[in-house]
Amino acid sequence: MTNSDTPAQSPAVRTRELGKTYPGASAPALTEVSLSVAPGEIVVLLGLSGSGKSTLLRHINGLETPTTGSVQSLGEEVTRLRGRELRSLRGRVGFIFQQFELVGALSVLENVLTGSLSTLRGPRVGVWSYPRALREKALGHIERVGLLDRTYQRADRLSGGQQQRVAIARALMQDPEILLADEPVASLDPESSSQVMALIREIAAERGLTVVCSLHQVDLALSWGDRIVGLRGGRVVLDTPTDNLGREQVMEIYGRVATSTSEIAALEDELAEAREQVLAQELRRAAAGEDRA
Amino acid sequence: MTTVAARAALVPRPAPPLSAIVSYGVIVAILGLGVWSFVALDFTPKGLETVGPNIARFLDMATPLQWPGWEVAGERQADGSTVFTTSFVGFAPIWDMVLTVAITLALVIAGTALAAVLSVPVAYGAARNTTPNGVVLALCRGIGVIARAIPDIVFVVFFAFLWFNSGTLPAILAIGLHSVGMISKMFADAIEQIDEGPRLAIRAAGGSKAQEFWAGVVPQALPAWIAVALHRADINLRGTVILGVVGVVGIGYELDDALHAGPAGMRRVVPLVVIIIALCIAFEIVSSTIRARLLNVAPREGGLGGAVARAARRGRTTPSAPSRHPVPAPDRAARIAEALSRPWDRERVSTTVWIWAGVAIVVAAFAYAAPDVARLLAPTWQQLVDPAQGRALWPLTFGSNGWGEVLAAVLRTVQIAFAATLMAAVISALVGPLSARNVAPNGTVRNLFRGLALVVRSVPDLVVAILFIIAAGMGPQAATLALGIGGVGLLSKLIGDSMEEVPGGPERALAAGGSTRAQVFFSSTVPMSVPALVSHLMYVLEQNIRSATLLGVVGAGGVGFLLLNSLQARHFDEVFAYVLVVIGMVVVVETLAILIRRAVR
Repeated sequence: MTNSDTPAQSPAVRTRELGKTYPGASAPALTEVSLSVAPGEIVVLLGLSGSGKSTLLRHINGLETPTTGSVQSLGEEVTRLRGRELRSLRGRVGFIFQQFELVGALSVLENVLTGSLSTLRGPRVGVWSYPRALREKALGHIERVGLLDRTYQRADRLSGGQQQRVAIARALMQDPEILLADEPVASLDPESSSQVMALIREIAAERGLTVVCSLHQVDLALSWGDRIVGLRGGRVVLDTPTDNLGREQVMEIYGRVATSTSEIAALEDELAEAREQVLAQELRRAAAGEDRA
Repeated sequence: MTTVAARAALVPRPAPPLSAIVSYGVIVAILGLGVWSFVALDFTPKGLETVGPNIARFLDMATPLQWPGWEVAGERQADGSTVFTTSFVGFAPIWDMVLTVAITLALVIAGTALAAVLSVPVAYGAARNTTPNGVVLALCRGIGVIARAIPDIVFVVFFAFLWFNSGTLPAILAIGLHSVGMISKMFADAIEQIDEGPRLAIRAAGGSKAQEFWAGVVPQALPAWIAVALHRADINLRGTVILGVVGVVGIGYELDDALHAGPAGMRRVVPLVVIIIALCIAFEIVSSTIRARLLNVAPREGGLGGAVARAARRGRTTPSAPSRHPVPAPDRAARIAEALSRPWDRERVSTTVWIWAGVAIVVAAFAYAAPDVARLLAPTWQQLVDPAQGRALWPLTFGSNGWGEVLAAVLRTVQIAFAATLMAAVISALVGPLSARNVAPNGTVRNLFRGLALVVRSVPDLVVAILFIIAAGMGPQAATLALGIGGVGLLSKLIGDSMEEVPGGPERALAAGGSTRAQVFFSSTVPMSVPALVSHLMYVLEQNIRSATLLGVVGAGGVGFLLLNSLQARHFDEVFAYVLVVIGMVVVVETLAILIRRAVR
């Protein structure tokens, strides 16, 4: 595969024969997934919905426990960690969700500050319960994602793209070594999508982050990632770097990851519809904003 | 060739779904049991004959009305009649009445605030998605059920005994502990309904369980928590009228005093009732306004907070131009330093004003009620554990009553509840739909019936019961009428709300097909709101069983009357025994309600 097995560069993430069957499920969600991600690598998990991308991501920071096999992240055996140790590992791994998962009723700043909880003892309520140094740091990250003038707005009043940028700032607050992103732009319109994807790349480059990002769009995956890992039915069906791919190889990726062209077409339709809905929502929100002004 | 009719007759009919059977079964059962209860409670025309003379006699005693600040003096004339002269005696009694209202509100607010705080850990344990394990879940839900089942009046008498002569402490504790039952249940429901995503995000960022709860769950459930507490404060204000009967200071005590102070007292009764009703309506309006605002996702800018913010802005000469046209600061560090302090925009002012006003009101309530907290640590236990003194909690006994009498009393309480539910259901079947926007012929009718339900809902059960006792004499009939009327307020609102929530499509389709208003109502609105109606009926029945127990206090009979007798004698072994009976009743009814709701859904 890659040169990650050299002792100088121990992998950031390594799974061995990872298998997961949810209780009550008829088929396993993951089967014998062995994967190694080198530090600083930018990997795309490519697959249709239900192919096991999210499940795989959630094993990396211990949100799920494997049925068989093992997961190592940042040199730690994830399944062996409990309590504080697990929390401190999770603190070193940022996670970005498809639905952003901000606390809507809280301000942008408070949401970003929750990214630092793993370094703090005890529950925090309100901006002033966080040390000043952390507040300054949070503002720096908010500035980095371009939302400084929205600092004190409620998170649920931002557009989808803005919310995802807040979520990125929240992940940066953790000073992560690995960034996991689960379909980060599946709920966004095309313009916000490209902004968010570009932002993740830039930040990864600035900080030398290891990124594992799940996507379902082959074109986006090809242009964005350094390496593509294709999943289908919970198995790895493809693992290739993205540079110097010929047309035939690209067609093969389509063929392996998605069963047939009709399925791709269906998927694209579905996506277009979702995007239209988001766009309509944005337009309504913009119109409402103008009304208020 | 077979006709369509013949073929249609051959089409197999599916068995009716369980939910439909249960729905209609429950409606028929409640109506049937209600009728049976009405018969058993002996509502006969003979009883009604005395109503007229009773009211006349009462009015004769109660007039001329003596409002606070005025004195009514009677002088017997030579011909045997009495001439009353009403004279103004100064502002001191008016001020006393203001203070009485203030202490009533202080007890309610302090008690409810205590309950709201105590409810947080209970709800944390009772919500399926936050509870650490099944044992804690069962424990916290059990605490809720027991707190709901034990009437606050029992807590008051018990605490007043435990901390003898400790002022407002027993009342605040009683309101606090009893209210935990409802607040923790509804807060737990709110916690179970939150969006789990943000919590997962905090877990993924390495947050602990406690951090997940406070940063991910609480902000989402906070509006519901405040709304439930406000709603409970409403109920508690009405409840203090009953607490007055056992000597808790406030307007309920004044009423009880007036009722037992002979002819001079009777003249104070009507003014007191008017003050109580006005107070309850005012409180209900304030609390429901705040609740509506809180539960709205997008906070509006009107109202008190917004007004203060606008006033504050008018004071300043500079408009908030900088935020409209941001001038890029020279460097990043300076912009970040500037953003470190939050600007005092309208929203921040509004939020701050609301928060501090709320805190100030709660603090003021505690300060004014001034419970003797130091006594908490020094309860009088000895008498409660020493059987020789006749006050011991143990062994349990029903006193001079046998099981037969207790069961008869339970049956009487249940009959009052069923009869009252039937009465409320019949009247609400008219008032409820007419207060729904999509059923009422026009806005005026809707608002009229909404207002009617609001007023009826605001009047404390006890006040209604007293009015009916005056009219019909003591007994279960008065309690039934009181609960029945009170239930109309609640049930009409619930029916109106759930009819408004019915999806409008089918109604429009029928109307477009030329159906009349009544046809639309019976063919679309009613069938679609049946599950909600069943659920509301069960809720009102639950409430009525609780209240029927309480109204035993005013001589309605039933298990509440037995409870009151042993309370007044301070026979806590009997009190404890009757409380267990009441808890048993409530548990049975709540379990039935849960099972029925599950089947209907």
